[in-house]
Amino acid sequence: MTRGYRNTSPFLPLWRWSAKTSRIVNWGVTIASVFLCLLALPVRLPGMELLGIGPNWLLIWVVAWSVKRSPLQGAIAGLVLGLLQDGMSSPHPTHALGLIVVGVLTALLQKQRYIQEDFISVALIVFGMTAIAETVMALQFSLASLRGAGDGTFPSLSYIWTYHQRITLASALLSSLWAPVLYFPLERWWETLRSMEE
Amino acid sequence: MKGNSVYLFRRWWERHGLQALGVGLALSLALLVRQTQGGLVFDIYQRLASPFAADPTSQEELETARVRELEQRLAELEHQYQLVGKLSEEAKKSQKNPIFAPVVGRSAHHWWQQVTLGRGRRDGVKEGDIVTAPGGLVGRITSVSDRTSRVLLLSDPTSRVGVTLGRSRAMGFMRGENEKQGTIEFFDKVPDVKKGDRVFTSSFSQLFHPGYPVGEVVAVKLDASPAPQATVKFDASLSSLEWTSIYPQPNIPHAEPEFSTESNDEGLSEH
Repeated sequence: MTRGYRNTSPFLPLWRWSAKTSRIVNWGVTIASVFLCLLALPVRLPGMELLGIGPNWLLIWVVAWSVKRSPLQGAIAGLVLGLLQDGMSSPHPTHALGLIVVGVLTALLQKQRYIQEDFISVALIVFGMTAIAETVMALQFSLASLRGAGDGTFPSLSYIWTYHQRITLASALLSSLWAPVLYFPLERWWETLRSMEE
Repeated sequence: MKGNSVYLFRRWWERHGLQALGVGLALSLALLVRQTQGGLVFDIYQRLASPFAADPTSQEELETARVRELEQRLAELEHQYQLVGKLSEEAKKSQKNPIFAPVVGRSAHHWWQQVTLGRGRRDGVKEGDIVTAPGGLVGRITSVSDRTSRVLLLSDPTSRVGVTLGRSRAMGFMRGENEKQGTIEFFDKVPDVKKGDRVFTSSFSQLFHPGYPVGEVVAVKLDASPAPQATVKFDASLSSLEWTSIYPQPNIPHAEPEFSTESNDEGLSEH
């Protein structure tokens, strides 16, 4: 089946690609988009920063991925990107837990019933999910702080929760405003692939 | 029975094998990145970002700023000299020439206060090295890749620095609070501290050389529990860092001092 396409130009229209080619290209696009998100994490361009905080690109990616997928797929994406974020900042406590929760919840949302698929609703989902992820993070810090009480490696509970309040709003606002930049191209791409497979 | 399960597995593999492989590959890649603390990603980032990095001429500005900082440290060292009678070995070592490094990235997640510097293992940077900027102390290197290194800033809540007051020599631990200030918890129940006191790293600190300027006391809270507190405004502006200087880490007293001195010299001889 693939043999017929092997000698033709790679710049063929999408619908004429074989199933195998399109699958490989899809993996490529997906991995490249995650890599771009990783590179965007340490960058602070004007308009991308509020109180020293930038958008949480990996969370936006997990939401975009999970919107039309199963909870299990959402969880796996959350785990992988969470581990990546651990590598980019600091592995204790892990980011994976928060992103797994985000992936599963996003996949479980009954979008066709309550939310339409537009600019506003994607931004809303990202806003809510950022708040949830930040809370999971704060809970993990609290646990670590309680467990190692007094040894001074982790800040106090009162500090953690005031900090949580301070950053959650800024981070949620920024991430939801920047969400469409990542969501629309990715969603377009996956949508094209889906219609092609049918 | 056995044949049946093999058949079931083969059917499952035909349907989901490729996906399972992909997921396994993605997971192991992610674990690799986590284990290496994103070294490869930051190296690529540094290459892409280098055309946009801070103007190299500001390296000169940095050096004049360093002279100012050294003058301030001289005053502090003279004070120590009077107290101890001789300059400590540590203070002499810290006078060596630093590695100048541009800031190429900020924290990748906002629960941590970090910056990424555009100098790494190849330039002689090591984990535990001390980072300063015009004005004073900035933080400590926590991980190094070939071309970049990551700094845990003073402003991070998990960063703890042993500090002392320039005037009264009262000692305590300083923890980061936000980008501009940190909090000292004093060891004494009734420390001699007032607004405007200069804060330096203390000789009890094992992670930092003694006598680096850290900041200035802006508020005092003697009735805080469990220990009296003071708020410190950092000298270096951590939110707008552009160039920094990296010094080798102090020798930990119990480790073989001769060996680690040698390795520090090696690291610096390239510059």
